[in-house]
Amino acid sequence: MKNQSKAFELLLLLSVFVVATCGLIYELVAGTLASYLLGDSITQFSTIIGSYLFAMGIGSYLSKFLKGNLLSWFIRIEIMVGLVGGSSAAVLFVVFEQIVFFRLLLYAQVILTGILVGLELPLLMRILKDRIEFTDLVSRIFTFDYIGALFASLLFPLVLIPYLGLLRTSFFFGLLNIAVALLVSHKFGNELSSRRSLRWSAWLGIALMVAGIALSDKLTSFAESLTYADAIIYAKSSPYQRIVITRNKNDWRLFLNGNLQFSSEDEYRYHESLIHPGLSRVSDPKHVLILGGGDGMAAREILKYPSVTSIKLVDLDRAITDLFKKNEGLLKLNNRSLVSNKVQVYNEDAFQWIRQNKETFDFITVDFPDPSNYSLGKLYTLSFYRELYNTLADQGALVIQATSPYVAKESFWIIDQTLRKAGFQTSPYHCHVPSFGEWGYILAYKHDLPEVKQLPAGLRFITERSWTTMTDFPADMIARSNHYNTLNNQVLVNTFEREWAVYFK
Amino acid sequence: MITRRSFIKQGSLVAGSLLLSAPYSCTSDSTIPGSLGGPNAKAGHRIRTKTDGKIKEVIQEDIVIVGGGVSGLSAARWLKMNGQSFRLLELEKEAGGNSRSGSNAISAYPLGAHYLPLPNVNNTELLRFLEECNVITGYTNQRPVYNEYYLCFEPKERLYINHHWQEGLIPSEGVSPKDRSEITRFVELMDHYKNLQGADGKMAFEIPVHESSLDPKLLQLDTLSMDQFLTDNKFESPYLRWYVNYCCADDFGSALKDTSAWAGIHYFSSRRGHSENSKFDDVLTWPEGNHWLVKQLSRPSLPYIKTQCVVLNVVLTDKGIDIDFLDLESNELKQIEAKKAIMASPQFVNKHLLHRTASVDYSKFNYAPWLVANLTVSASLQEKRGEPLCWDNVIYGSNSLGYVHAQHQNLTIPKEETVLTYYLPLTGTHCAAARADAEKKNLGEWTDLIFKDLEVVHPKLRSETSRLDAHLWGHGMIRPDPGFIWGEDLRRAATPIDNKVFFAHSDLSGISIFEEAFQSGITAAKQLMKSA
Repeated sequence: MKNQSKAFELLLLLSVFVVATCGLIYELVAGTLASYLLGDSITQFSTIIGSYLFAMGIGSYLSKFLKGNLLSWFIRIEIMVGLVGGSSAAVLFVVFEQIVFFRLLLYAQVILTGILVGLELPLLMRILKDRIEFTDLVSRIFTFDYIGALFASLLFPLVLIPYLGLLRTSFFFGLLNIAVALLVSHKFGNELSSRRSLRWSAWLGIALMVAGIALSDKLTSFAESLTYADAIIYAKSSPYQRIVITRNKNDWRLFLNGNLQFSSEDEYRYHESLIHPGLSRVSDPKHVLILGGGDGMAAREILKYPSVTSIKLVDLDRAITDLFKKNEGLLKLNNRSLVSNKVQVYNEDAFQWIRQNKETFDFITVDFPDPSNYSLGKLYTLSFYRELYNTLADQGALVIQATSPYVAKESFWIIDQTLRKAGFQTSPYHCHVPSFGEWGYILAYKHDLPEVKQLPAGLRFITERSWTTMTDFPADMIARSNHYNTLNNQVLVNTFEREWAVYFK
Repeated sequence: MITRRSFIKQGSLVAGSLLLSAPYSCTSDSTIPGSLGGPNAKAGHRIRTKTDGKIKEVIQEDIVIVGGGVSGLSAARWLKMNGQSFRLLELEKEAGGNSRSGSNAISAYPLGAHYLPLPNVNNTELLRFLEECNVITGYTNQRPVYNEYYLCFEPKERLYINHHWQEGLIPSEGVSPKDRSEITRFVELMDHYKNLQGADGKMAFEIPVHESSLDPKLLQLDTLSMDQFLTDNKFESPYLRWYVNYCCADDFGSALKDTSAWAGIHYFSSRRGHSENSKFDDVLTWPEGNHWLVKQLSRPSLPYIKTQCVVLNVVLTDKGIDIDFLDLESNELKQIEAKKAIMASPQFVNKHLLHRTASVDYSKFNYAPWLVANLTVSASLQEKRGEPLCWDNVIYGSNSLGYVHAQHQNLTIPKEETVLTYYLPLTGTHCAAARADAEKKNLGEWTDLIFKDLEVVHPKLRSETSRLDAHLWGHGMIRPDPGFIWGEDLRRAATPIDNKVFFAHSDLSGISIFEEAFQSGITAAKQLMKSA
């Protein structure tokens, strides 16, 4: 009998330890998630910790109303803490974009977990009060409680977040909580009322937590997919990027790594501005090169010039070009340009392709993603532009998408300066694309700016008069910079990063 | 009732078991495919054991170059440019010495030396060679314009320090103002030496080493260790000392106390490269490291290079020199009767080949062993906070030099995998002991050692690595021990014998860098032609 009671105490003290660890972990999970999703970590952590501790106080107060078989209550509460706390990160992640009152849900969850955790210790003390001398009891329970807290606070940043991640961590501790409940219910079956239902619910809870751990990765990507406003009709990871297409009635949107590439509602503005101011100035263009532009929209505009006999399109990602060659809805958007017999697609790296290419082109379109990292930055360097210079016919023209001269004006003018350094004459211009904002391009050529020959019929945005307004830069889009971007300084990437960071703040 | 003691014990047991079960359960000890290679040690040992047997073939030749490292190839280039006929014998399957490379489906990668700092503007021979291979594309304002594809791209260097990747290798983030001011004082002192001229009007520290000033006041520094030099000048900051130690390990494979102060300062104060289109401290590098330079260097001499030949004996005769060698391909003993020879082999080999009359104490030539490992890893490594992946990535406090991103000079957008080249100088005071110790280790032991070091910055590296190819250089680099560079033994070992045998190797400069090897090859070739 003495052994039995010793085991009992030990087990319950172990529970205190686990409970304390789990309790603090839930608090940290909530705080971390709130600062991830809402920003301003000082405010988030402070208010979360405050509400959590306060809720524990409520729980302690409420504990006096629990009557009857206390051990059963304890097990019930353990299971509930496990379920609520364990699933907290997952629930918050998934609903973040979905509900207006995210904060409300966050704090409701924090308070609920706090109340349940607050119930645990007073309850345990009541259970143990007749079995352990009070002085010893208080000292031991609180010792374990505080050791658990220290343990959790060290484990969380050093081990759990780096190795398990947020979602798995919270499920794992939910699992521990419920495991304690199950263990207690097995060890002290004879002291419990309704032990069958208790055990069943514990097992159910454990199953849920295990499923949660197993599905954490899926849940994360599901949660991310919910950050798109419209229905996702296509999502795939290629070796290079995450491709997502959303659709809302007639608005199709393409996202690469979460960045909007076009909205079908206004992409004609972007692509007409990209192609026509330049191509309409080349007399009798025959051979055209597109670098990037795997969606086929630029090719669609170029095919409006009957003299063009061949278009070579170099886009790294086969997943993109295949998509825009095969999907009926997307084929409508690019007017089947990529399946035209004038268009040849090369799924190769643009830098490598251009270095081994011997052909020259009458018109070249460079439509790469913005220079947001060092890999992409290489495609905006003096070395690359020198290769372009050698690839462009003497009387030809070249156009480059050059990010937003409003948001990243210095970046825009660095691109211009780099092109000039490579030997080009340039004419920077810009237009407004509602889904993007103010957008910039640079037209580059080898001699004087050629006159517009003729614009194709049926354009929706570009007219003969557009050029005058497009080349007029308001004061807030002008930055004079002597910097130019090279492989060994990559000044553009740093500038771009700085300018967009300010904008997002 | 449980006692206090048992209670504490149980408490800690619970805590301990939880700790153990959480993080370590996910690590598996599945082995990663890979290889452990190195110089052809078996063939090399034939030099010592010699081979008795009949000479199957006797060949006549004007000049023989023994050894196809950078110095041998440089001598060959010079002889070729001057219309001399020669034959170069190399032990390995490929010439290049420790500037060779390997490759896999992902990338070419260096097995040893991997970069060349911008040469000083008065190093005209080297500049001319760089023009030959289009590394220098022209001159503007009398300053060289370097080929942008070969200049190290941005971002160049980062240091993991205080749980964060900072830009550059000089410790700065989280470093106290006191340490910082000591670092600044050190940098200023090195700048002072950089611009200092000796009493003879020569620059205090020059590349090649033997162009430096012979002012005894400066050479006095060679008798000190770098460690002593720092102490004498009251440099105590652990951050600074770590950094200087790192630099010595980087260029010499030695620790502060085993490095001559003259050599240590030379590292910081000898580079005065100028360029029109880069900063003075930029470097030239290629995915395959200095093997790229070796390919350019050896191109004109390729038909005259014979690989897999173990030279066993070099004997001076009345007519010239007899060189016995084992042709590993046919496993036959052969002999070349040559008029002259350039020994472009390291002195730890020469001591077995030559029977000198002049006494050279070869035990003064110490070579630091190195381990270089190439890890094929996921292109999206789990990273710590701070600067993104750079060309050179160093971990503060580590014994290794960190790793170089082999794909850094690649222009293409990265795919799923990439290659990291890990450098570990084995900086024991006693090179032979360190070498013996290293030779005992198997691939698994090296693998564990490498991951233990790198997991600090890439916690999931083991699971992100698909292959690990290690290369052990038993005699990786000549070590500039105090007193060595300006000592008698080095000078004697470099002195030609009877106007017939000439010497070229970076170990004769005391510093294992491309510039020294390149220059020593030219010097030996010039001496040889002058002797005719």
